[in-house]
Amino acid sequence: MPDQQSSVVAAGSPAATTAGGADGAGTPSRGSGVRTRGRGGARGDRASLGSALLWLGPALLLIAGVVVYPAIELVRASMSKFSITGLRLGDAGWTNYTNVLDHPLLPTVLVNTIVWVVAVVALTIVISLGVAQFLTKDFRGRKLVRWAIIVPWAASLVITAKTFVMIYDFYYGTANLLLSKFGLGPVDFLGSDTWIMPSMILVGVFVSIPFTAYVFVAGLGAIPRDVYEAARVDGASPFQVWWRITLPLLRPALLVAAVLNIIYVFNSFPIIYTLNDRNPGFSHDTTITFMYKLAFKSAEKDVGMSAAAGVFNVLLILVVVMVYLRFTRWREETA
Amino acid sequence: MSTVTETGTGSTSRGNSSVAPQGGSRRSGWQRHRSWVLPVAGAALALVFLAPYIVMLLNSLRPSSDVVQTPPTFFPREWQLSTYSQILTDERFLNWLKTSVIVAGSSTLIVILVSIPAAYYTARFRFPGRMAFLLLVLVTQMFSPTALVVGIYREWFNFNMVNTYAALILTNAAFNLAFAVWILHGFFASIPKEVEEAANLDGCSRFGTLRRVMLPLTMPGIVTAVIFTFIAAWNEYVVALTLMLDESKKPLTVGITSYVTGYEQHWDQLFAAAIVAIVPVVVLFAVIEKHLVGGLTAGSVK
Amino acid sequence: MTSRHMGAVRVAAVALAGGLALAACSGGSGAGSAGGGGASDSGQKVKKIKLVAAEYSKDHTAAFWKQFADKYKAKTGTELEVQVVSWDSIDQTSSTMIQNNNAPDILNLNAYASYAKDGLLYNADEVLPASAKSDILDAFVKSGTYQDKLYGFPDLSSARAFFYNKAIFKKAGIAAPPKTWDEFEADAKKIKSLGGDTIPYALPLGPEESQGEFSMWLFNNSGDWKKDGKWTINSPENTEALTFLKKLTDEKLTQNNPGKTNRADAFNLFKSGKVGMVVGFSPLAGQLDEEKKVDYGVAPMPTKMSEPQTFGVTDYLMAFKKPGNQEAVKAFYDLYYQKDQVNQFIKAEGFLPVTKSGIEFFKDDPKLKVYLDTLPNAHLTPTDDPTWDKVKLAVQQNLGGAVGSGGDPKKVLDDLQKQAESGS
Repeated sequence: MPDQQSSVVAAGSPAATTAGGADGAGTPSRGSGVRTRGRGGARGDRASLGSALLWLGPALLLIAGVVVYPAIELVRASMSKFSITGLRLGDAGWTNYTNVLDHPLLPTVLVNTIVWVVAVVALTIVISLGVAQFLTKDFRGRKLVRWAIIVPWAASLVITAKTFVMIYDFYYGTANLLLSKFGLGPVDFLGSDTWIMPSMILVGVFVSIPFTAYVFVAGLGAIPRDVYEAARVDGASPFQVWWRITLPLLRPALLVAAVLNIIYVFNSFPIIYTLNDRNPGFSHDTTITFMYKLAFKSAEKDVGMSAAAGVFNVLLILVVVMVYLRFTRWREETA
Repeated sequence: MSTVTETGTGSTSRGNSSVAPQGGSRRSGWQRHRSWVLPVAGAALALVFLAPYIVMLLNSLRPSSDVVQTPPTFFPREWQLSTYSQILTDERFLNWLKTSVIVAGSSTLIVILVSIPAAYYTARFRFPGRMAFLLLVLVTQMFSPTALVVGIYREWFNFNMVNTYAALILTNAAFNLAFAVWILHGFFASIPKEVEEAANLDGCSRFGTLRRVMLPLTMPGIVTAVIFTFIAAWNEYVVALTLMLDESKKPLTVGITSYVTGYEQHWDQLFAAAIVAIVPVVVLFAVIEKHLVGGLTAGSVK
Repeated sequence: MTSRHMGAVRVAAVALAGGLALAACSGGSGAGSAGGGGASDSGQKVKKIKLVAAEYSKDHTAAFWKQFADKYKAKTGTELEVQVVSWDSIDQTSSTMIQNNNAPDILNLNAYASYAKDGLLYNADEVLPASAKSDILDAFVKSGTYQDKLYGFPDLSSARAFFYNKAIFKKAGIAAPPKTWDEFEADAKKIKSLGGDTIPYALPLGPEESQGEFSMWLFNNSGDWKKDGKWTINSPENTEALTFLKKLTDEKLTQNNPGKTNRADAFNLFKSGKVGMVVGFSPLAGQLDEEKKVDYGVAPMPTKMSEPQTFGVTDYLMAFKKPGNQEAVKAFYDLYYQKDQVNQFIKAEGFLPVTKSGIEFFKDDPKLKVYLDTLPNAHLTPTDDPTWDKVKLAVQQNLGGAVGSGGDPKKVLDDLQKQAESGS
């Protein structure tokens, strides 16, 4: 993000941002001015806590009412000792946590998680940027293409995952049917230790693109046309325009898409659980399926330990997101 | 102020071609080809994204045994259309569908009603706890529902609301709030303040400004949030599995697991049901899709 | 903190109430009306009980329980609330309820011993009518008994048998299904020599149900999971059996990657006519008959013993102690074990009976003969040992590794043995 410095400078003084905004809209080729339309939040009026509560009240109520209590229960469960039936037997102190940390396959699971999240999120964002740009072009049949791309998002993840099992299977898979037409294969996409992760990542990217692309389409849709007109007048090359104008203006959408994708991909369960269901043990699990298997599918069969893993998951993703927000200077951006 | 005026002007030229500006010299050559290159590329892109669902569709049109037949064939060995009439006349399936529509629709409505004021306010004002609020909203997304389901069950059990739509709707709404708040926050934040000030000068109340000026401008964000929430609620599984006891109150995601058990497999019905389940979402999308682009072309600033 | 104590108090209260109810009813099933005496307890009768039932099939399970609930209500006046849950999710559903001290009254599952060990269940003396108890097959009474009391009441059963593809056998010149392991291996090689993509034997050792496939082999090598109260997972017999399966894999007499193949996919290959032999059970026969694509035969399992052995499975309907529900639960079992109920259920789902009268009921069905003959002597996994509930999962997650490349059957079984011993 080459424009970061300028954004920080601009955000430092509200007036500067405003000026930069109006100015930038007119003459975007002027480097730092590209920060453009001042972000409202950066110059937000002060407000009292009271009126804030009025506007945020319903949201807070919903969160406090529905999310907070179960979260407390989760922490409580993570400190409890359970029978495999789910019956609470007493306090466990920190043993569930140490049991998770001492689990011999935890390093494997963590590496899998990193590979999974980084690969899926990075590929998703890059591809989605292209798809979104394409979807905002005007051409005959655009509407139909847009409808088509919503489908992977609309379909149930479990069923999509099951469909991919039908595609990937060694014997009856469509992919191997296609490969065989070229004299290739068959490839054991799901049973081979080399292929399983790339196969799952492909599905992960595939189902994440529609959502991400539409966040970008919406973001692009909110960029005033005249900004481009002005750029064209200034004789900027298409790439310059994209790099200097589109991308920076897409920043809020990019940020939201990245943060939410990181969280969703990290928490993604059905794809890995379904595609990996034939592989014994934990060798291709991420922290989320690891957590589930600890509770119900592995010899541990311990909901307390699983709850501790669940708490670790939240802490892990919290740290990752905070680091990401810090790295992308979200604070300066909108605060 | 210039931004506002120019935005207004921009609205008259709806041409999306301006989104992808081209250098003048290559322009004419490109213009000649773009009328067929873009549709062809679009068709290819659509095909890529539909490919697995074409497999799904073809699987719903063949007998169950043909679905997992080795060696496979791309097209059904035997076409079977009766699965769809079987599904659509199955009372259980229709009940699942009804539940899903009620739950997803209501959850979406609640999310939009609750997230708009929150997003607007956090984008426009600074107040103590603002960052904390935005982070709290985000944190709600970090919990895997599987990890929380025990507490969710206990909570609704205590309220004697297990097996009610309301419990499922409120749970879905709460867990999908984050996306809506965040994306709308981004949109409100990117609307130049001058727009709002102009409206205020015109004598709009704060609420009136929000409704008549800000909302049309954030339409792409709202549409995205609606689609997102609807789909998330539409596809939620684990909470519904735990909360909904009656056959007739199960949503599609839970009911659909009936088709393939360890002992009996109706792959044809499973995939047909899955195809039918996609339709309402695509219809919803088709209806509101036009608002995805062009919040600024709605002419609301005039 | 307080609510933790509350939890303990609640458990104690439940146990106490259960005890009181037991005392009140010990006079016999008709004594409920007496009521007086010390029964100033919480012994209010429930008006509704809840069943969490596993889903065997879409078309039959929910339909059966719905008609059952109607009959039950008509007969007792008590309501029966039924939640049908898929097998994939039922562990999670039941665990969630128990974690919240809100167990169902009746739970349908493939395990019960851990629940009995936790003191959550009624035993047969408390809720099972004597006529029903005496009707249950001995093998299932044995597997349902934990610490001398019957807790695991069987709902239905299945037994494995050896399925073979007659067309493939004919092509390979095999006259009759193999009786011994040597014959089995020789036949597998004959099928292999047919070339093409025909698979001699489909071996599912994936994590879904590998203990079932392995059980069938080890029981036919005079092995067992547990003998005389001691774990024998790594016994020489078992090791030999698993080594044999590894050998089949190495000689490519199985499908690709058997350690990562689940049962359904092995069956799919057999149903496609690609497989010479597979270990199946009656629901597979049902599917094959419906599809009419494969000409198959069913035979006893090839064995290294004098008589072929079979592996049987039963699922359970267990009853949770909750205040005031004892009579309603007893009425539930009274109705369920009526011949027209239990056998109707079993017939619809395509499984095998669990009662002596059920064997009578099904004995004229020629398709079931091969199973019914072996059922009373079927070997089961040690479901009466709570440790097995965990060991089973360890087996499922590890057995596949033994037949993979570089897998070591002996080491895998040694590790499992260690795990089982430390667990009990």
